[in-house]
Amino acid sequence: MISRRHLLGLPLLLAAGRSLAFGDAARMTFAQLRHGGRWDPRPDGLSRLAWEIARRTSIETSPVVKAIAPSDPELFRFPLAVLSSDQAFPPPADNEVAELRRYLSYGGFLLLDDASAQRSSAFELSARQLMARIAPGAQMQKVGRDHVLYKSFYLLDGPYGRVMSMPDLEALEMGGRLGVLYSGNDLIGAMARDSLGSWEFEVTPGGERQREYAVRLGVNIAMYATCLDYKEDQVHIPFIMKRRRI
Amino acid sequence: MPAWVLALAATALVAAVWFSFRGVRGEPSKGRRALLLGFRVLAGLLLLALLFEPGLELRAESRVRARVALLFDTSKSMKFPASPGGPSRAEELQRWSKDHAEDLGKLASRFQLDFYGFDKELQPLDLSRLPTDPQGPSTDLLGAVTGAAANGTGGRPLAGLFIASDGSDNADLGSGVPAAAVQELRKLDAPLFALPIGAAAAKDLAIEKIAVDDFAFVRNMVTVDVFVSARGFPVTDVPITLTRDGQPVAQNTVHLSGDPARGEVKLSFVPDRTGKFAFTVKAPVYEGEAITQNNQKSFVLKVIRDRVRVLLVVGRPSWDVRFLRQLLKRDPNVDLISFFILRTPGDDPHSTQDELSLIPFPTQEIFQEQLKTFDLVLFQNFNHRPYHMSQYLDGIAQYVRDGGAFAMIGGDQSFSAGDYAGTPIEEILPVTLIPPGPTTIDETPAKLILTDAGLRHPVTELSSSAAASWAKLPELPGLNTTGPLKPSGQTLLQSNQGRPVLVVGEAGRGRVLALLTDSSWYWSFVAAGESQGPRAYETFWHSAIRWLVRDPALTPMSVASERPSFEPGTEAPALDVQVRGNDYQPVPGAKLQVMVTSAEDPVPHPLGAAVAGPDGSARVALPPLAAGAYKATVTARRADGTTVGEADDAFVVAPATRELTEAAPRPDLLQAMAQATKGKVVDTGEQLSGLPWRDPALVEVGQRTSKPLWDNWKVLVLLCLVAGAEWTLRRRWGYA
Repeated sequence: MISRRHLLGLPLLLAAGRSLAFGDAARMTFAQLRHGGRWDPRPDGLSRLAWEIARRTSIETSPVVKAIAPSDPELFRFPLAVLSSDQAFPPPADNEVAELRRYLSYGGFLLLDDASAQRSSAFELSARQLMARIAPGAQMQKVGRDHVLYKSFYLLDGPYGRVMSMPDLEALEMGGRLGVLYSGNDLIGAMARDSLGSWEFEVTPGGERQREYAVRLGVNIAMYATCLDYKEDQVHIPFIMKRRRI
Repeated sequence: MPAWVLALAATALVAAVWFSFRGVRGEPSKGRRALLLGFRVLAGLLLLALLFEPGLELRAESRVRARVALLFDTSKSMKFPASPGGPSRAEELQRWSKDHAEDLGKLASRFQLDFYGFDKELQPLDLSRLPTDPQGPSTDLLGAVTGAAANGTGGRPLAGLFIASDGSDNADLGSGVPAAAVQELRKLDAPLFALPIGAAAAKDLAIEKIAVDDFAFVRNMVTVDVFVSARGFPVTDVPITLTRDGQPVAQNTVHLSGDPARGEVKLSFVPDRTGKFAFTVKAPVYEGEAITQNNQKSFVLKVIRDRVRVLLVVGRPSWDVRFLRQLLKRDPNVDLISFFILRTPGDDPHSTQDELSLIPFPTQEIFQEQLKTFDLVLFQNFNHRPYHMSQYLDGIAQYVRDGGAFAMIGGDQSFSAGDYAGTPIEEILPVTLIPPGPTTIDETPAKLILTDAGLRHPVTELSSSAAASWAKLPELPGLNTTGPLKPSGQTLLQSNQGRPVLVVGEAGRGRVLALLTDSSWYWSFVAAGESQGPRAYETFWHSAIRWLVRDPALTPMSVASERPSFEPGTEAPALDVQVRGNDYQPVPGAKLQVMVTSAEDPVPHPLGAAVAGPDGSARVALPPLAAGAYKATVTARRADGTTVGEADDAFVVAPATRELTEAAPRPDLLQAMAQATKGKVVDTGEQLSGLPWRDPALVEVGQRTSKPLWDNWKVLVLLCLVAGAEWTLRRRWGYA
């Protein structure tokens, strides 16, 4: 039986399928990592973000989010994965950690989104412990405002989300690119809608303007995942500098 | 005996005579005074003789016959005219030797004459066999003179040297006579008389030297340093031109003043394509110049890529784009310029333009102004229609035909789905296209199969077991559909249903590649998930790029000259040819035809032919060529007349030494050498026998005998008689 959520998601599916393509393989599909905790705190958020990306940019996205275990070999068909929760999650098994390490080292991109959006939250602690196992000795670093992530499509100036709890995004660099990005402001929560199509959460303190910026940050993350540092090519710099001054 | 003893004894004798004379001063008779004084002086002298034992030494002496060294230039530069349009310098020298036969005979009556020929070495010469076609490879004036001075026969002293030469030294005196050489010449201690040959043709302009690296980078400025010398010219500005295949690529002017004058000029240009090219630096030929051959000089320059400049045009960000960009950005040999369509006209970014980082797609700049600066253009899932690019497609096709490279990567906006059917792009692709529609994409998963052509092709040569390597890679989720393959196309990879996946071909002088999938990233990331790693993906793309831009190592047919430079007129340039078809298979028995063009003569001349051996290789020897810059194009044909391929190489025919390029007469050098030895420059009519040769200072000592004058009884008797007579007379005349 078709659920109400699927029914509401139908327009998204139709919108996403606007062109001929080699099936979902050619489209950007979010992989949501299953873990032992509440791995899907914002069930509609990533689909909504996929729809926004397809609506706003030339990227073709799939509204279907692939829920997948870190140890599943299929994970390598989804170069952009999201790990989220609003609480602590049990430490993954060693083989899962090893797979995640391989995934990231061969070019995968992992977005860690703290749905609790609280400083020093249980999720943050779990996430940092996981990172310490994936990349021993490496530390996630703040992402500077001049990083290409803040200009990969929209010109942005902050780590927007449902709340503005953390002043910066953090990231783990791997092979000259960001391999892991940590958002402590419930980025996906800002895009979640309930079963009736209403925004599921209020966005504070900036209200709807902040929600829009959160969507834009989500778009920029997707753009960075597919284009890397394209916007740092020399040809873009004068245009971007001029617009930054406006 | 010391001189002071003699002086003392003489003084004592004079004093004794003087004092004894005082005793007879009162003698009134002058005759008696003189007689007494005479006896006393004579007695004193005899006494001294007894004391000093004088004697006579008899020696046999004869003067040694000195020698004169005569040196004659036998270097190649003597083949040049002695005067504009006149006989050669060697002929002029022969004439001089005939005219001076009698003169030399006279000289031989006084001196031993040693005749030498000299060039790089010094050797004895029979003057009657003075060469009219001298072959000496270089000229060493100082070495010849000092060698002849040291080589004297029988240790005879050197009365002088005579040198007849054009003075065109290319050893130690090339830029004048340095102080050290002057010192060396002075040590000869004999005059040098010099006869300058060809001094009447001293006017000459020469490209003396070119300084340039053996290789240059395409699209990077190359500077050629040209050194020009002139003699017999007034102050003047000389235009210097640099040509490639006869076409000027740079020009500059060198200012020359003084006589002789030297100048340096820089010629800069930007090579626009890779390959090996023969360049020629030229100066004008002025009236009355001694040598015209040295007014130009050629060299071979290999133009290579520092980095492959790749233009990547992307219709939409995707995983395929992301992995290819990452690969190209990481490659230090690739200079990547990329343009991604991040937003189509149908997208709504929900913002103002100023809130976006997007820039306009600079189609005109990329596809019109900058196109030729790229080595490779990649269209990755890019549809040209929304960007009004139809006007540029013809230019892109022409860029490829002119030697560029183009690759189209699949996707829902590519090939037939990208509406390229019937466009100039379809003309250069190795596959035909079908009209846009739902059949342009086939979503049937495709397992990879390496074709026979793919087995041998460098693009798909992943490993020693390439077929198995490709078969192991993840199957692709779908393929672009095309029409039939073009005759020039080669399918290297196909699906298990027989659909082409990777097709390569050539269009004009350019190369094209069609990859009919937007999922080659599967060979990297998905393969890594299947524990294969990304090596196949990286190897494939690196090989594909190298093949597309004609990396010399991946060229099927090649030709290479044995050396970059050959001797004019005597040496046969040889070409090594390797014949392989586009499938990289050797073509044994292929008939090779060599067409040669030069900077002076752009009309191709058939100068060589050969048949490829069992391994497809052959060596073609061309006939000896005149000096110049040449391009040899080798065409290989099968027995049925079909063309296998074509390849070319450039080489230079030029003298290896400076003897023939810096051959202007140098009477100034001869003058300076003669002056250093207190000799002089003589003219053609001057007689050698009348020159101030140096007479020998040494004598030869033969038998020697000594005869003492005092050691006999006569001296003693004489002394007694004189002393007795003096005593007797003094007594008789009343003196004590």
